[in-house]
Amino acid sequence: MSRVLRSLRDGIGFDTLLIIIALSYLFVFAGLPLIYNVIISFQQVDVFSLGTLWHPNVGFENYERVFSDPLARRVLINTLIFTVGSVALQFTLGFAAALFFHQRFPGATWFRGLFLAGWIMPGLVVGVLWNWLLSGDFGVINHMLKSMGLIDSGIFWRSDTAFSLYAVMMANVWYGMPFNMILLSVGLAAIPDDLYEAAELDGANAWQRFWTITLPMMRSTIGAVLALGVIFTLQQFDLFAAITQGGPAGSSTVAQYWSWELSFREFDFGRGAVISVTMIIVVLFVSLVYVRSTRAETRL
Amino acid sequence: MTRLMMTTALTLGLTATAAQAEVTLSLWTESATAPEGVFAREFSEMDNGITIDVREIRFDDLVADTLRAFATRTNPDLIAIDNPDHAAFSARGAFLDITDKVAASDVIDADAIFEGPRSSLSWDGRMFGLPRASNTIALYYNKDLMAAAGLDPDSPPTTWDEFLEAARAMTDPANDVYGVAFSARASEEGTFQFLPWAQMAGGSFEDINAEGVAEALELWKTLLDEGLASPDTLTRGQWDSTGTFNGGNAAMAISGPWELGRMAADAEFDWGVTLLPVKEEGGPRASALGDFNLAIFANTEHPEEAFVFLEYYQSQVDRVWPEFTRLPSVAGVELAPTGDARIDAAAEVFAEQLESARNRGPHPEWPRISRAIQTAFQSVLTGEAEPQAALDTARAEIDGILN
Repeated sequence: MSRVLRSLRDGIGFDTLLIIIALSYLFVFAGLPLIYNVIISFQQVDVFSLGTLWHPNVGFENYERVFSDPLARRVLINTLIFTVGSVALQFTLGFAAALFFHQRFPGATWFRGLFLAGWIMPGLVVGVLWNWLLSGDFGVINHMLKSMGLIDSGIFWRSDTAFSLYAVMMANVWYGMPFNMILLSVGLAAIPDDLYEAAELDGANAWQRFWTITLPMMRSTIGAVLALGVIFTLQQFDLFAAITQGGPAGSSTVAQYWSWELSFREFDFGRGAVISVTMIIVVLFVSLVYVRSTRAETRL
Repeated sequence: MTRLMMTTALTLGLTATAAQAEVTLSLWTESATAPEGVFAREFSEMDNGITIDVREIRFDDLVADTLRAFATRTNPDLIAIDNPDHAAFSARGAFLDITDKVAASDVIDADAIFEGPRSSLSWDGRMFGLPRASNTIALYYNKDLMAAAGLDPDSPPTTWDEFLEAARAMTDPANDVYGVAFSARASEEGTFQFLPWAQMAGGSFEDINAEGVAEALELWKTLLDEGLASPDTLTRGQWDSTGTFNGGNAAMAISGPWELGRMAADAEFDWGVTLLPVKEEGGPRASALGDFNLAIFANTEHPEEAFVFLEYYQSQVDRVWPEFTRLPSVAGVELAPTGDARIDAAAEVFAEQLESARNRGPHPEWPRISRAIQTAFQSVLTGEAEPQAALDTARAEIDGILN
């Protein structure tokens, strides 16, 4: 008995206890809902059977209905474009800004801090702001483009099927860029200065220093930022709700929005779950990347 | 019955039951300043032992939040719910069957409730609520712009052709003026705005691909293709669309009486309201029946007290027009003057339009039916489908839901 107690106080028992606490928390609040989500994707769940634990089993019917839906193809393509486009732009702009503010000039840290102002705003507020900016008739963006002579008549960002997805993407890039910048700034700050000094002495120019020192040293940070970017982008819902509601004619519907529509507009929770299960599989792969890159971080 | 008399009557009648304990009921609604919110506050202040907590939930979230709450049995005692959503709840037994209570009530007369609202809250011949009010859509027009375009401001368009011509005549891109503002959004609002046009052309939600409905869609498409309405019509709700009319950026607007108060305050021009134009001279009229119903949840612990609130609501129904510019859903209520001549003139138009207003459903799967209709008009307006083909697809989808 005393051995167990001692082990609990100071030893392997204590470690195990801590792990059990964390794991059971994860299991109850993340694991169970995930498993339940997988289960209801094989069941017929409507509004009024939602409260009961078990529902009629329908096998793969929900999956067949979702994947044979005329909207499915478009949603898949939209999700792909939105995720790849958003992450690529957020990352590139975020990295550029991080490098820029890494240069030591007066006020650099202040300006970097200001960028975060956008990121701390709630998604719905950002969505409403962009909704106004993107308005076809009275939007500021159209006004600017017109004054600069780039366009003759307003672009209907939200209502033109050729633009609606990119309108939301624009808002999302603006919204997510500061987060990328901050994480990458931290990565940049962690690279020891003497590496650059040594390289400079050896005659490496700025471009060479970037390719041979900055990028390799940032590999784990970049992996983490990209993985988080994909996960956050796949979670992006508020902007769609505020700007296009997935429309017009489904032209800006992405997987996460469709899942919500099926569940909470059409009240078919089974089909809604099918989409989230599919998304979980994708996110699982991305998480592996994230875990691998953060593991490399601890080794450094 | 005046408010004071009613208050006294209710207070006296309730003393027996209420003396035992203070009862608190919860009411969810889209707006605390709507009649049920205001009446609930008055009701709580009365000395009847019943307090009502009013919780405001955004219109777009009301049904979803309520369903979530109902699934976990944390739903309110009372709710004000959009009438096409009512059937889903009553068909599954979520709402209290008040047929017998109404029959026994001295205040509520079921037979006086208009046919449309009554059908929206009925299921299997039983009553599951009380209409809050009724509304419908009609055509608002800017008299100054009509005169400027050489049209007679006192004879607004009455047929689809005249309507289209008026829209063309008044569209003025140089001054940022569109001919008409309406909503073709992919939401219940879009269905609400489209169905009347389909019905005037001889269709209905069960028969959405009827001959003629394609013409209604063509009309909408013409409005957008010729730039007579803003392309943002596809993503904008009715309130925002009518806002552009109030700002002088649209010469006509299709919307309901809920706009009157704001319009009277904001619009710096002379305006009027007329019935929705019909397809051809003498053709059938149609409009949408809107507004909310009040219902009691079947699992409430205080059905009696909740019903007393419904009785109070009904007793105040003559205030619904002058104070909230909403049309009462019961026969025999005079629309009292509001003090604004334009609003009083609009009252007559909306009351007449309401006679041809048709209910959406009732059907427990209305959201899916509505979705099929939205997909049809959105795919046509964005040029992705031909009108008849889109309507045929919607018909097949709706048939699958109905049968």
